[in-house]
Amino acid sequence: MAREVVMPKLGATMEEGIIVSWLVNDGEFIEEGDPIAEIQTDKIVLEVEAESSGHLLKKLYDAGSTVKVHEVIAYMGEENEAIEQTENFSESKDNKLEEINEQEKVRKTPAANKLAKDNGVDLSLVSGTGPNSRVQKQDVENYLQQDTSKITPLAQKMVQDLKIDDKELIGSGQHGKITKKDVLSAVTKTTSAQERESSQLKKVPLKGMRKVIAERMSESYYTAPHVTLTTEINMTECVILRKQLLPVIEKETGYRLSYNDLIVKAVAHTLSKNKALNISLQNNEIYFYEEVNIGFAVSLDEGLVVPVIENTDQIGLAEIVKRSKEIVANIKNGKLSPEYFENGTFTISNLGMYAVDSFTPIINQPQSAILGVGRIVEKPVVKNGEVVINSMMQLSLSFDHRVIDGAPAAQFMTDLKENLENPFRMLV
Amino acid sequence: MTTFDVIIIGGGPGGYVAALRGASEGLRVALIEVEQLGGTCLNQGCIPSKTYLKNAEILEEIEQGKQRGILVKDVEFSMEGMVSYKNSVLNNLRMGIQSLLKARKIEVFNGLGLIKNSQEVEVISNNEKTTLSTKNIIIATGSRPLIPKVDGLENVQYHTTDTIFDLKTLPKSMTIVGGGVIGVELADVFSSLGSKVTIIEYSNRIIAMEDEEASKALHKKLHDKGINILTDHLVTSVSEENGCKMLVVEKKSGEKVFISSEELLIAVGRTPNDSATKHIDLVYNGAFIKVNDYLQTNISTIYAVGDVIGGYQLAHVASAEGLTVIENILGNQKKMDYSIVPRCIYTNLQIASIGQSENDLKSKGVDYTVTKYNLFGNGKAQTLGKKDGFVKVFTDSKYGEIYGMCMVGPYVTELIGQGSAYMSLEGTVYEMAEMIQPHPSLSEIFMEVANLSIGKGVH
Repeated sequence: MAREVVMPKLGATMEEGIIVSWLVNDGEFIEEGDPIAEIQTDKIVLEVEAESSGHLLKKLYDAGSTVKVHEVIAYMGEENEAIEQTENFSESKDNKLEEINEQEKVRKTPAANKLAKDNGVDLSLVSGTGPNSRVQKQDVENYLQQDTSKITPLAQKMVQDLKIDDKELIGSGQHGKITKKDVLSAVTKTTSAQERESSQLKKVPLKGMRKVIAERMSESYYTAPHVTLTTEINMTECVILRKQLLPVIEKETGYRLSYNDLIVKAVAHTLSKNKALNISLQNNEIYFYEEVNIGFAVSLDEGLVVPVIENTDQIGLAEIVKRSKEIVANIKNGKLSPEYFENGTFTISNLGMYAVDSFTPIINQPQSAILGVGRIVEKPVVKNGEVVINSMMQLSLSFDHRVIDGAPAAQFMTDLKENLENPFRMLV
Repeated sequence: MTTFDVIIIGGGPGGYVAALRGASEGLRVALIEVEQLGGTCLNQGCIPSKTYLKNAEILEEIEQGKQRGILVKDVEFSMEGMVSYKNSVLNNLRMGIQSLLKARKIEVFNGLGLIKNSQEVEVISNNEKTTLSTKNIIIATGSRPLIPKVDGLENVQYHTTDTIFDLKTLPKSMTIVGGGVIGVELADVFSSLGSKVTIIEYSNRIIAMEDEEASKALHKKLHDKGINILTDHLVTSVSEENGCKMLVVEKKSGEKVFISSEELLIAVGRTPNDSATKHIDLVYNGAFIKVNDYLQTNISTIYAVGDVIGGYQLAHVASAEGLTVIENILGNQKKMDYSIVPRCIYTNLQIASIGQSENDLKSKGVDYTVTKYNLFGNGKAQTLGKKDGFVKVFTDSKYGEIYGMCMVGPYVTELIGQGSAYMSLEGTVYEMAEMIQPHPSLSEIFMEVANLSIGKGVH
């Protein structure tokens, strides 16, 4: 009976191979294991060996041909044997003779055969995944890896009892044999993980404010291409100004002036002159806001809110102090009225009270820009050719590059720097 | 100066086995031995005692031959012949070790090994000193008999295992202080040869570290043989009068006993030889060198194996430790596993145990099942005329894991190897029950006890 010689699958990713050359002529006798042809994969050139002795009846492809894996490339059989007849014969899947033959002889690729011989694997025990259940090299590799004899009887009983997948265990015994120790080790790991889960980890469903924040942050991050510019501000003048204004504003408002108030004032002042950042992209339309409504991030136990001071650029510093303090007090008292959070056009996220120098804030959609504020630290700086100690602070501006270009963003930062470094001007 | 990969101080079963494996693995090995190769095991322990025990067994069997219809007349025993035969056995074995060491190109130095530092060892031989350089050191200096503080002992002639195997004449009577393995084995020997033997043991039973039932069985066997066994007794003073050793022995209750014998054997335990380590700052655990799981001392390139680190103080454990150290020197990071160590007593009612004893399991609070099968029902034991004994297997009821085994009876010191195999390969009592054993054989007791353990007892 004519036997198929197929393009072997020589690697997990191999889809096709090139017949580099035929090493046997039609009609020529070949011993089992002798090479028939050279095959090139995408990586190497290998030989296809005869699975059994016989005559090469017919080559189906010329050298240089590209053939898909498992395709028949030639037939072998008895001398002068007719192929057509045997082709039909072999295709007759319900033919009993075929079944008997298949039982007696395992269909396998040469690579699988070699790997099996090298490792002493009985191919009749390996399930073939190739055409007509032909055993592939990968099948033998899988069989070698899944050798179930590599577990001690005790470990086997424990695995069954504890319903552990022994394939996930790493054997520490001789030649990787899975032992009791390995099972116990896996159980200990699982148990301790479960214990951790039950005693140390608290699972809380994502809901409420946290869910809204999560959705909005990821939506903003993945829809708006963020660009972040950073600059360092010399806050020395702001420190002086604050010190001077503290008693004045406290007397007027009853609240203490914070650096955040000064920054809100400076940002509003700068934004009113850099309206290119006071915009929003919604439904493919760019909204240019006339009002400058600064939002500032306030951290609560449940999450983060951004109340807004409307027309921030229109009001004085004392009013900013008053409004911001009242809003924060109300929010922290649970008065989360919607009006506090409406109509924001730009956000400030200030982490200056923490040990944070700079960070890249995520834009509070549908706004197009956000300013991240770091802490104020005293640093040696060069001023007029001399090293002096000044109060320095870093600012990071994240902006939506879909609607804001780098230059206006950089101009905003430049102006903001100018304003914060000369804060008295803002009050004029 | 040649730098060795490893210098081993001590040519006993810990040292020479490590040397052979090390050389096989391509290490350059030096072995230093101050006395004879083979250590205590070959020269003053396992091998001479087992040679003598075989003599005792032969004599006992001749005695029992009458029951089987074998009449032997004029049985004569020669102490000189026994010593001579024992020496020939020892010589053969020593020559074997020498040949192996030579074949593996191990440089053997005869002298006292003294560790100078973690890289240098000095060999002192005939007042000559040679300094050897090395990357690793294995201390395998073994132990020597422990001599207890007893009033008057320093003034009497007594034996230890260092001298007892070279006795020229058979003593009419012998007192053995210590009812441990050495004590009971030599009591069996000298009793069989014809001496009147007394064992004095401080514990409440002989071979106190072993299974209580096994201990009782051996006590009965030795007692039936005519050996006087005093447990719960302490020797308080010794004196010598007219060549006789006079012992004052005090019972724990305070009652005094006076024992007189021709010879006195001290067999209360062993203390480590620390001569090699005087110049280095090793950390000790009592008298023994402290080592970690990898048998490293506090100096990472200095390892210690065998009696010098305490623990089991068995030749096969020392050898296993030596092999483990070589793996570690080769960088394979192997921990010493003491969970499946066979322990054998070669008296003519043999005792062999492996794994955890019932006491271990009780003290650890392990939930275990004990199954016992008496040797009486075994056909081969009947044919041998040695039907005293039993096998006990300690298992867990869930998986049938074999926690330990204790065997009493003929050839159990050989049979326990089967227990080693079951346990090492983590076979459970179910596999033990299914295994086909030859018939008739003593091995059948494994199958019997295992089936009994799982409720499918056959006989």
